[in-house]
Amino acid sequence: MTTTKQKTMKRLVSVLAAALALCAFTERAEAQQILLTGPLAGAPAVRKLRLHRKGRFEVAPAVSFTLLDEYQRTIFAGAKLNYHFTDWLAFGAWGAFGAAHLTTHLSEQIQDVNAARRKVPGESLDERLTAVNLGPDFTKQLGTMDWVVAPQLTAVPFRGKLALFQSIYLDTDLYFFGGPAFVGLNERKNCAGTTQDPCVNNFTMATRMAIAPTFGLGFNFYINKWSAIGFEWRGMPFSWNTGGFDTAGGGKDKKFPDNKISNDDRQFNFNQVLTLSFNVYLPFQYKTSE
Amino acid sequence: MKSSPIGLLVAVALGIFPAQSWAQAKAGKVTVAGKAAAPKDSEGVIDADASAAATTSGDAAAEAAPAAGDTPAEAGEETETPTGSGLEDICKIDPAACPNLDMDKEAARPLKEQIFAVQQAYALRVRRFELQAGWSQSMNDQFVGHPTPNLALNYYITNVLAIGINGQYYEPFNVDKAFNAQVRRAARVAVPLTEYQWGAALNFTYVPAYGKFAGFGDFIFHYDAYVVGGVGAMSVRPIPVIDPDNRNFDYQTKLAFNAGIGVRIFFNKWFAAVLEVRDYVFNDKLESLTVSKVPGPGPNGAGNPNTWYGDTKLTNNVQAQLGAAIFIPFSFDYRLPK
Repeated sequence: MTTTKQKTMKRLVSVLAAALALCAFTERAEAQQILLTGPLAGAPAVRKLRLHRKGRFEVAPAVSFTLLDEYQRTIFAGAKLNYHFTDWLAFGAWGAFGAAHLTTHLSEQIQDVNAARRKVPGESLDERLTAVNLGPDFTKQLGTMDWVVAPQLTAVPFRGKLALFQSIYLDTDLYFFGGPAFVGLNERKNCAGTTQDPCVNNFTMATRMAIAPTFGLGFNFYINKWSAIGFEWRGMPFSWNTGGFDTAGGGKDKKFPDNKISNDDRQFNFNQVLTLSFNVYLPFQYKTSE
Repeated sequence: MKSSPIGLLVAVALGIFPAQSWAQAKAGKVTVAGKAAAPKDSEGVIDADASAAATTSGDAAAEAAPAAGDTPAEAGEETETPTGSGLEDICKIDPAACPNLDMDKEAARPLKEQIFAVQQAYALRVRRFELQAGWSQSMNDQFVGHPTPNLALNYYITNVLAIGINGQYYEPFNVDKAFNAQVRRAARVAVPLTEYQWGAALNFTYVPAYGKFAGFGDFIFHYDAYVVGGVGAMSVRPIPVIDPDNRNFDYQTKLAFNAGIGVRIFFNKWFAAVLEVRDYVFNDKLESLTVSKVPGPGPNGAGNPNTWYGDTKLTNNVQAQLGAAIFIPFSFDYRLPK
């Protein structure tokens, strides 16, 4: 009886050991199947990915419009030139000149009032109070952005596709850029308000270069292998005297007029620019991934 | 019989042995789909071609299996040595289940499957409500800032067309900018200013575009673009700057039309971020630039509200909104197959 029990126990132990081993065997075999078999094993996530940018130059004639201007809008004509080291990183520059300067309704209103005052015989009280700030033609004393050169680094972290009306399919990308901007300004020349350097009836202009950070983001919509339409927003914050006014420099905090035109009169402006561009990529043929 | 458990344990050990040898390949630089490398058999790296080759060799092995398997079977199961192919083992365990496919031929076979241009849009909108909440900032008013919270509720009649309502509450957030005072001080010219109280509109939304972006080559997010337009009302009033001593305006409700474009970026099938630019157009009654020299509330007096208003002007209130959208119900069923 004991022998039978021992045999039974031995068999049971043997069967259990075999079952456990088989369990272990099966588990490993299943994991192995996933890794080693199947036609997609080892394949990249995307094959024949269109590398629209890698190793290509981008030449993009562009027209840009300033936003939220107080006295004058600027339309820039220019171009963007980039070399894309990889599909996601490029170095280049945006350059543009102020092709058109359009005064705002506010400027026209100010000039209308200004012109009406000057028609009154003798100096009116208003004219005397504004003698430092308003010349014969207000629109001629407005600060303008004449040109911009902005070397910049561009990163393209997002790429994708767009279905339009379920019939047009476009490759797209979203990019971010940043760098320094060198801005050529024409603004009212500083004056000391003295007899030698008066500010009244002195509305001469002077040019200078402002250096400011510039950054922004944009979308590209690829039309074919070598061209794309681009939309871009750019910020260029810096201080400048947009109206040619004496607004600061006096008082405790220099926040009151001092009857002079000085650097204190340059007010901080978060200048914004919207750009529409037509991008051409060279060479015309893009590369594809494996 | 005493030796039978030992024999079984040996069989188990031998059974484990091939599994360990396979695990050796796994411990090497085995790559999975999406991380391909050149085939380096010595390092255990497998690519599609290598895999196909392995499969082919597996087939050959399967065909030869009976012959190869005969010997160990005759010699006893303990002597069986696996060759390292999972497919081969299936064939050995159950020859009936052994796949007998030529992968090269299968891969070359023309596919006649119906392919949709876009295999299922990520998030369907049809018969779902969209609740939007966000914060708007005025984009075109240099003189008065009009930030506002914005709420919208849309119902998608089709996957691309929705009807809905939206509303804004501006009153506590109007900002009369310092620039206005500077201009008044420098040029002695006052510009009529307007502040808003609230706005509401009935809108139609059309979604003509959708797509997806791969971010950093790592994750994918889906987005759609829509155009929206509608009609509603805005409650507005002038800020008294010409004659603040006498004038105190009440809010008046104006008919307002709106049109805009927006982009939704989906984080999942029911939650999205929303970027929208919309222009609300209304006829604004501005403060009069002239002040009556007659004091008091008489017919032409400076205190008579009828003398306070000047020109009427079509005004654009362009708002850029950043917000979030929730689609209800949270889930949906696709009508077409993948």
